Amino acid sequence: MLNTLRLSFSLKNTYRVNAILHSLKQIPLLKRLLPETLYQVRGLKVFANVLTALWELITIFLFKYLYFFVMVCGLELVRPELQSKEAFLHVLLLLTLIGSFMHTNMFDATRDKYYAMILLRMNAREYTLVNYGYYLLKGIVGFLPWVLVFGLGREVPLWLCLLIPFAVAGTKLAVDSYSLWDYAQTGHVRNDSKLKKWPWLLTAVLLPLAYLPLLVGAVLPLKVSAVLWVLCIPAGLLGLRQILLFRYYREINQELLAGLFTQIDAVQKAMKTANEKVISADLTITSQKNGFEFLNELFIKRHRKILWRSTLRIAGICAILCCGVLFFMTIKPELKADINEMVMTWLPYFAFIMYLINRGTGFTNALFMNCDHSLLTYSFYKKPKFVLRLFQIRLREIIKINAVPALVIGAGLSAILYVSGGTENPLNYVVLVCSVTAMSVFFSIHYLTVYYLLQPYTAGTEMKSGTYRIVMVLTYVGCYALMNLRLPILVFGVACIAFCVLYCAVASVLVYKYAPRTFRLRT
Amino acid sequence: MRFVIDHLSKHFERKEVLKEITFTFEEGKIYGLLGRNGAGKTTLFNCLNRDIRADGGTFFLDENGTPREISAEDIGYVLSTPTVPEFLTGREFLKFFLDINASSIQNLRSLDEYFDMMSIAPEDRDKLLKDYSHGTKNKMQMLINIIAQPKVLLLDEPLTSLDVVVAEEMKQLLRSQKDGKITIFSTHIMDLALDLCDEIVLLSHGVLEVVEKSNLDNQEFKEKIIAALKEESYA
Repeated sequence: MLNTLRLSFSLKNTYRVNAILHSLKQIPLLKRLLPETLYQVRGLKVFANVLTALWELITIFLFKYLYFFVMVCGLELVRPELQSKEAFLHVLLLLTLIGSFMHTNMFDATRDKYYAMILLRMNAREYTLVNYGYYLLKGIVGFLPWVLVFGLGREVPLWLCLLIPFAVAGTKLAVDSYSLWDYAQTGHVRNDSKLKKWPWLLTAVLLPLAYLPLLVGAVLPLKVSAVLWVLCIPAGLLGLRQILLFRYYREINQELLAGLFTQIDAVQKAMKTANEKVISADLTITSQKNGFEFLNELFIKRHRKILWRSTLRIAGICAILCCGVLFFMTIKPELKADINEMVMTWLPYFAFIMYLINRGTGFTNALFMNCDHSLLTYSFYKKPKFVLRLFQIRLREIIKINAVPALVIGAGLSAILYVSGGTENPLNYVVLVCSVTAMSVFFSIHYLTVYYLLQPYTAGTEMKSGTYRIVMVLTYVGCYALMNLRLPILVFGVACIAFCVLYCAVASVLVYKYAPRTFRLRT
Repeated sequence: MRFVIDHLSKHFERKEVLKEITFTFEEGKIYGLLGRNGAGKTTLFNCLNRDIRADGGTFFLDENGTPREISAEDIGYVLSTPTVPEFLTGREFLKFFLDINASSIQNLRSLDEYFDMMSIAPEDRDKLLKDYSHGTKNKMQMLINIIAQPKVLLLDEPLTSLDVVVAEEMKQLLRSQKDGKITIFSTHIMDLALDLCDEIVLLSHGVLEVVEKSNLDNQEFKEKIIAALKEESYA
């Protein structure tokens, strides 16, 4: 048993440490500094080991603290008068019941179990029991300090506080032994990674029962709670006996884990078919054009569903919202002044909105998955003049697609500005329309340029560029930060237009200079 | 015409995958490239196709004694998994390809003639490529590479996943198309290499070397190849 514990620990640890090292290797600058023999370097291993140990401590104590703070006592934060030992025990008991069938270790399909029991053929019974025991022990140790802190603070008797961690383990033992018994009877294996209907139904019943009685003052009396808590102990002991006597751990795990890796392959496959599905099967779609215009027209027409249809839908929603605001102002004219001020200063906010509604990533993703990932394997497609020709055509298309909602928003904002009282400087209207359009042009160019310069995918449609991810995150952060900016239309609008023009110029130079070299499949 | 590789080297960190490879390929021949797993066949192809940058050395075409730098269209690279643009029909893909390369293609034929050449059934020609079978996708990919007439055609395990009939058709096609170009064919299937290729080249220890058949029979030749490959201890 002890040997199994040691082995399964070192296995899980190796797996976590390597996962950490692997993710370090994905970070662009760090990647160059770290050697290929990374997995041999002792210092790095120690570092990763420290991280995994920290993580283990966090899962033991911090998560349990959060559980008590938010789940068990969260309601008291809003309604301090609800604090009582009865309420505390009531919520904790019902949440424990939910946890007993929603959150266990024995029926989770995880990778470390797969490696240990399927690949390395460790003894399934020993492995399961040892890890299950560790899991329960971890739960008890993590629970104890917080149940004392929170419980004693609410005057729960000390003996009950000390009993509760064991009672929690008891409920898990009882429910899991039931699942094992169920397997022995029916052959059905419970799988917590894909829960069936009844656990959700039961949760839907128990969760309101945990909190609602507090609001109406009908929680379980102390004595009833205490009896129920105490009952969990013999139930747990019975469960423990059943679990120790159970003989079919290998069979259960075989079934539980068999699907695990085909699932991962299936995700990749599903992604591919999902992308193929967006291609219109309508063969009456044709094109009278030639060469790259022919390719582009067919691409746009056959991807209408994800490109034009969604952008038109967004434009429609924006138009309706603008009309709504206009209507609102006619029935509540007193709000006009506020709305006027908002429109005059909230333009930076629209950078984030334009970020959210632009189709740039959808477009480049479809371009790669359904077009470039195959055509880039042909040498003719990589001729510099062809790369640039197609870039121009695609840029034109994505600008057109993104411009529709932008124009609707620009025109809508101008109309709102006019109706809400207007502005002294008519230039504001022009800047409003132009800057929103400029933002949409910016996003169009930005995504396409980044795609051409960093082309992040391999032939197997695997994303392999850390730099690309970072650029995507920075784009988000940048747009999000702009939301907090309050600037007059003229200042922000003109700055925005200037930035977009400058960015376009720089992007074009970069694409012309580098794209013929960078626009290829990653290896 | 000759295709000359001169001191081509590539390493990944400390591992030298290609060690100053120097080799000359002759026009009109099919070369079978054999090597153990991890010997660097794909790395070599990727370098020649300029998908990854080599650390040193050059490769060029030698036409009647005058060396000429290789441009993208001189190299055709057929991958083992066929890749075709899923949203086009076979006919549209071919039309697109012919449109943009019209100026460089000699004795242009009609679309259907090309399909006939590859024995792609008439009912398949106007289907979306995503609905093509594996073998037919492969034929499309091969067709494009044949019409493009690259001087050097690199094939990475191209026949392994095809059914026997298509594989036989492809073999015939490669044989009939070998004049005027250099075909380099990587495979793990020894019999295929012996059947199809004019020369067997080994990539081992990071260098290329020809295995001379001289007057050995097939069995002896096979044993000689295996013996040479076994020398590489870590593969």
